[in-house]
Amino acid sequence: MSSDAVPLAVSTRQTEEEFSFQRYTGDRSRERAFYLGPSSEGPGQLERCIREYYSVDALAEWLKNVGTGYKDITLQFPNSLVLDSAIVSRQLEEAVSGQQKRRFWVLADTAYSSCCVDEVASEHVASDLVVHFGDACLNSIQRLPVVYSFGKPHLDLDVVMDKFLYTYTDKSAKICLMANSSYTFHLKSLYELLTAKGYTGLVYTDINSELVNDQVTVLDFAQSQEYNSHNKLLHTLENRHVFGSDTVEPINSDSSFQEQDYHLFHVTVPQDPHLLSLTTIFPHVSLYDVQNNEVREGPFPSLMKRYKYMQLARTSSCIGILVNTLSLRNVKETINKLTELIKLNGKKHYLFVVGKPNVAKLANFEPIDIWCILGCNQSGIIIDQINEFYKPIITPYELTLALKDEIEWTGKWVTDFQKVLGSIDEGIKEQEEEQLSGNGDDDAPEFDVVTGTYISTSRPLRELKRLNIEAPSGSEKSLTKTVAGGTVIKGTVSTSAAHLHSRTWTGLGSDFQNDEEFEEDGAVVEEGITGVARGYQFDRRDAERKNLEK
Amino acid sequence: MVAFTVDQMRGLMDHVTNVRNMSVIAHVDHGKSTLTDSLVQKAGIISAAKAGEARFMDTRKDEQERGITIKSTAISLFTEMSDEDVKDIKQKSEGNSFLINLIDSPGHVDFSSEVTAALRVTDGALVVVDTVEGVCVQTETVLRQALGERIKPVVCVNKVDRALLELQVSKEDLYQTFSRTVESINVIISTYADEVLGDVQVYPSQGTVAFGSGLHGWAFTIRQFANRYAKKFGVDKSKMMERLWGDSFFNPKTKKWTNKETDTDGKPLERAFNMFVLDPIFRLFAAIMNFKKDEIPVLLEKLEINLKADEKDLEGKALLKVVMRKFLPAADALLEMIVMHLPSPVTAQAYRAEQLYEGPADDANCIAIKKCDPTADLMLYVSKMVPTSDKGRFYAFGRVFAGTVKSGQKVRIQGPNYVPGRKEDLFVKAVQRVVMMMGSKTEPIDDCPAGNIIGLVGIDQFLLKTGTLTTSETAHNMKVMKFSVSPVVQVAVEVKNANDLPKLVEGLKRLSKSDPCVLTYMSESGEHIVAGTGELHLEICLSDLENDHAGVPLRISPPVVAYRETVEAESSQTALSKSPNKHNRIYLKAEPMEEEVSLAIENGKINPRDDFKARARVMADDYNWDVTDARKIWCFGPDGNGPNLVVDQTKAVQYLHEIKDSVVAAFQWATKEGPIFGEQMRSVRVNILDVTLHADAIHRGGGQIIPTMRRATYAGFLLAEPRIQEPVFLVEIQCPEQAVGGIYSVLNKKRGQVVSEEQRPGTPLFTVKAYLPVNESFGFTGELRQATGGQAFPQMVFDHWATISSDPLDPTTKAGEIVLAARKRHGMKEEVPGWQEYYDKL
Ligand SMILES: Nc1nc2c(ncn2[C@@H]2O[C@H](COP(=O)(O)OP(=O)(O)O)[C@@H](O)[C@H]2O)c(=O)[nH]1
Ligand SMILES: [Mg+2]
Repeated sequence: MSSDAVPLAVSTRQTEEEFSFQRYTGDRSRERAFYLGPSSEGPGQLERCIREYYSVDALAEWLKNVGTGYKDITLQFPNSLVLDSAIVSRQLEEAVSGQQKRRFWVLADTAYSSCCVDEVASEHVASDLVVHFGDACLNSIQRLPVVYSFGKPHLDLDVVMDKFLYTYTDKSAKICLMANSSYTFHLKSLYELLTAKGYTGLVYTDINSELVNDQVTVLDFAQSQEYNSHNKLLHTLENRHVFGSDTVEPINSDSSFQEQDYHLFHVTVPQDPHLLSLTTIFPHVSLYDVQNNEVREGPFPSLMKRYKYMQLARTSSCIGILVNTLSLRNVKETINKLTELIKLNGKKHYLFVVGKPNVAKLANFEPIDIWCILGCNQSGIIIDQINEFYKPIITPYELTLALKDEIEWTGKWVTDFQKVLGSIDEGIKEQEEEQLSGNGDDDAPEFDVVTGTYISTSRPLRELKRLNIEAPSGSEKSLTKTVAGGTVIKGTVSTSAAHLHSRTWTGLGSDFQNDEEFEEDGAVVEEGITGVARGYQFDRRDAERKNLEK
Repeated sequence: MVAFTVDQMRGLMDHVTNVRNMSVIAHVDHGKSTLTDSLVQKAGIISAAKAGEARFMDTRKDEQERGITIKSTAISLFTEMSDEDVKDIKQKSEGNSFLINLIDSPGHVDFSSEVTAALRVTDGALVVVDTVEGVCVQTETVLRQALGERIKPVVCVNKVDRALLELQVSKEDLYQTFSRTVESINVIISTYADEVLGDVQVYPSQGTVAFGSGLHGWAFTIRQFANRYAKKFGVDKSKMMERLWGDSFFNPKTKKWTNKETDTDGKPLERAFNMFVLDPIFRLFAAIMNFKKDEIPVLLEKLEINLKADEKDLEGKALLKVVMRKFLPAADALLEMIVMHLPSPVTAQAYRAEQLYEGPADDANCIAIKKCDPTADLMLYVSKMVPTSDKGRFYAFGRVFAGTVKSGQKVRIQGPNYVPGRKEDLFVKAVQRVVMMMGSKTEPIDDCPAGNIIGLVGIDQFLLKTGTLTTSETAHNMKVMKFSVSPVVQVAVEVKNANDLPKLVEGLKRLSKSDPCVLTYMSESGEHIVAGTGELHLEICLSDLENDHAGVPLRISPPVVAYRETVEAESSQTALSKSPNKHNRIYLKAEPMEEEVSLAIENGKINPRDDFKARARVMADDYNWDVTDARKIWCFGPDGNGPNLVVDQTKAVQYLHEIKDSVVAAFQWATKEGPIFGEQMRSVRVNILDVTLHADAIHRGGGQIIPTMRRATYAGFLLAEPRIQEPVFLVEIQCPEQAVGGIYSVLNKKRGQVVSEEQRPGTPLFTVKAYLPVNESFGFTGELRQATGGQAFPQMVFDHWATISSDPLDPTTKAGEIVLAARKRHGMKEEVPGWQEYYDKL
């Protein structure tokens, strides 16, 4: 075993009121029939269906022949599929039983995004291999090898065809077929069927084969690639390859989809961040919702709103970096670079890991003006469409745009950490050059286009200059005197201390100050409770007493 | 040729008793700029021939093209008074030289904010009224504003030539017209004047009213005529002044003065004003305009008017102008009125100080302002930004109220959000240069003492529009100006070319700086919005933005209106929201706030920055609030100063004050974006009835309280018969009788409501006043022109917010339609969430 420290458990403990236990009803077959297909409802069919759905046999083969060295194997299921985990792990154990001793662990309640491999949880059991079941983002992680089993969900192609024909009446329209990774295996059949119907401008997508390597295995991958070889690889769009016939106009870059006025037909409804990204690439987007077999054409997350948040970030003084992943590659590097850039801009930042972020958790940190979230681009970025969060949440790319001297808006929504790192580096260079040349009225207030006002606090780290406070040449006292509000702690500006200073509540008794009948004398001091909220002293006493009674 | 030197003027700045800071205010086209030009002419800056046409004050190209003033312009004038005049000055002064800092302001209602900014730095106002049109909406609006700022008025009844030439009225008719105009002005003055000012009504017999023609360059006051006749009749001048106005008649036979219209035989007598004042003028007009070649020289000699050789050849209107200008030079009358009757800074600041300063009346800075003390700490108010020839840079234009501002001096620059002891909106910087503003030119000077109007270089990047400059570390801000107009008409702008974005943003900043009232911000859905007071204002702002400030091609959306969200009743049940951890509960009810209270908050009479006890007293005395409630106002919202309140009505809740900051933060958020369609709330009072809090501080932090208070506010709001409010213009239209029908038909079509229709006595003109929803006002001017054959031109000014009575949650109603359209535009879910979304069951 390696000597690595065991990472922190960061999942949320939920209170009972909030979290009513789902009791096992004994009959989950209806639920399962949705993805396993109607045939799974027949007696004795379940085992077979699950085995097929997850390609359990292929996985077992792989373990026997390729992945022979892996002993502690974690099986990661998304919440919707956890119900199958017991069956799958049993089937696997049976299949590999003849060989050396292996242990299978089921991972549920994924800390961040279920499409990502939960490396941290796997390390809790010192696992050496993760098998990821269900839809996946295929984003690369730090070190563990992964096997993906996307599953083969049932889909009634006739219904899809009907809806498609209804949605696209122009058979020469350029349409790209896409789906989440589980449903992607249907696209080829759909492509065939629709081409037969006379659609001439179709292209389809498949998993980007470049993402598969000695660390990353996708089950049944070879078969799926077979069909693609009959078609032309037109373009690589993040984790997808785009294929079409030879006659299709070449697609040279992401922007070709705009230029050639492509429609996107997406089977399944992507998570908000992914959907947003797709809408920036495709001029027209239709989503096929497999839950109700309806086609949706909006409203989708809006990029204009992102623009507004980017503008807000320009004048915000305190940025909360919210880490919403621990396993994605390049995250640490991004954090380090990002904080460097923020500092160079004279802004304050704090780093947060709060487990699954929610409204209440983030609202606890009142001095934060804007959040910058680092998470999976498929589902780990919060897109607040109904303004329920107290302060806006932006992405690292948007933050780098905001930290540029010149306002810039590319209309792109870049979430790939590798690319973001590049633009952060540019930003750092720009700032350093500027600081060398020493120009710029950087202590002047900044115009906030969002509110149309001047903001004087947008660069708290340069506050001393703005207020023209001379260097603390004399006694320490003179500095603290000039800095009204006392917001300098150990020589650096603290925005949160400043925030505390601005509160009207300044501690016990401050609420009585304005009362006329305020008694100077006060009450007799009573002994309070001790301990922490999770378990006070009396809680423990109660528990002990109960134990004794037993 | 400048008739006086900068040094001379700078010298006068020290004799502050001899300084007059004044604005020229009037309804549009009543002749402010023309009159101002005739004053400038007297000061020698432009040659006499051009006065009346030169438009020295309209410095912008579009102003000169459109013939209207858009920005106010400041200029300093120098004048010498005779010993006799100086003797009659009733306030302290020294010597015969006077410095007049004059600001010509725009008359069009859309630019009222410019007037507000001008009034702030002046102590007196010259109110110009057109003889024929009389007192109009904008006359009233600006006069009311002036009085609110404790500005003393004098009046010039202008365009008298029109009455004589176009309307051919009789002397008595003219007197009656004058008298009515003076009376209407006095009605406004007595309604709005602050008691601190004392009697500031205007009286022709005291020399506070002048009559004349700016275009022809003549004007007179009764005092001037009294001067002439006092000697002749051997009576005291002041007695003469009394006799030359009002019901005072002269019997030429008995040579007796009387106040009866008839003599002892019952024969009618001529009014003294008509006989001694109007008669010579009428004669001159009659003789010259009827080309009575023989009569003219006789008259001229009698009136001691000497023409130069070349002038003698003139005839008709041209001759009339020359003659009248020599007989009654406009500048003399106006300067006399200004110097004698408008207060010096010393006089004015004594009663204005308390109203100008946010801090306590007994603090050193307030006292320095009161005394107009040039040796005290600097107190300077920057009231607006004036563009320099250097693009994107501005002069900070303002007034020194105490101390002396010097070039190179290090000052504290305090923005509008500065709070003493805190550091937001505070900069310590040096003033680069101090300049005198001379129309479109500036003259650098070394320093400028208290009481004077001044321009500063090197301050502009620290203040957006206005602010306070001081050298005192304890100084509070000077009070921010409140505008009578509201930017309720808005458009979305975007660049045609994405690369131009930085220019657009820079342009929006410059636009915001250069106009006191324009708002630029971003909508809920991320569009750049420019909001102005009316179509004309917006049009000017957008053309400035496109051609000047941003200088890039723009796409501009059709205008839309800003709305507000409000409630009509008390919440039908107590709204309850639980915190995410379910350990804290907020119980509240929303109810409508009285319109008077909302208005008082909006115009600063009830101010969140005031001491809460004093404020509670005012609210109890003037607005019938319960004192306990008024004292327990937790906050105003949105932005900490809006017309929505949170009142703490809880009883003995433990830890309550600990959550106050969270509640306040949540309320700002909730009132900024209402639940109906994300517009600001207005006139909503939220009473917190009860709160249960978890015993551990960790479980009742901001994260638990902020979202919960917002939800509770929304729930209470939606349970209280939510409504939307739309802005409504007051429209005033002057037109001949035959056009009135056309006006009514257009108004009907546009949901307009006629308030009054009157004929202006002595003229064929009708004045129609009506309320018109701003939403219906787009294109109104054009349609009106069409319906009236171009005879009716409306003036529209924001008047009030009107609640649309229908249910905004029902998309089939008028209000519902507006809401639905806006929600779609902003990409929101079409359906407005019901109160249940925000309400938690117990
Ligand atoms: N007949 C006449 N016209 C005048 C007089 N004063 C100004 N005007 C005209 O009225 C119009 C508006 O004058 P202006 O000074 O621009 O008015 P402002 O909007 O108040 O500044 C111009 O066409 C002037 O020529 C006057 O005394 N008599
Ligand atoms: Mg004008």
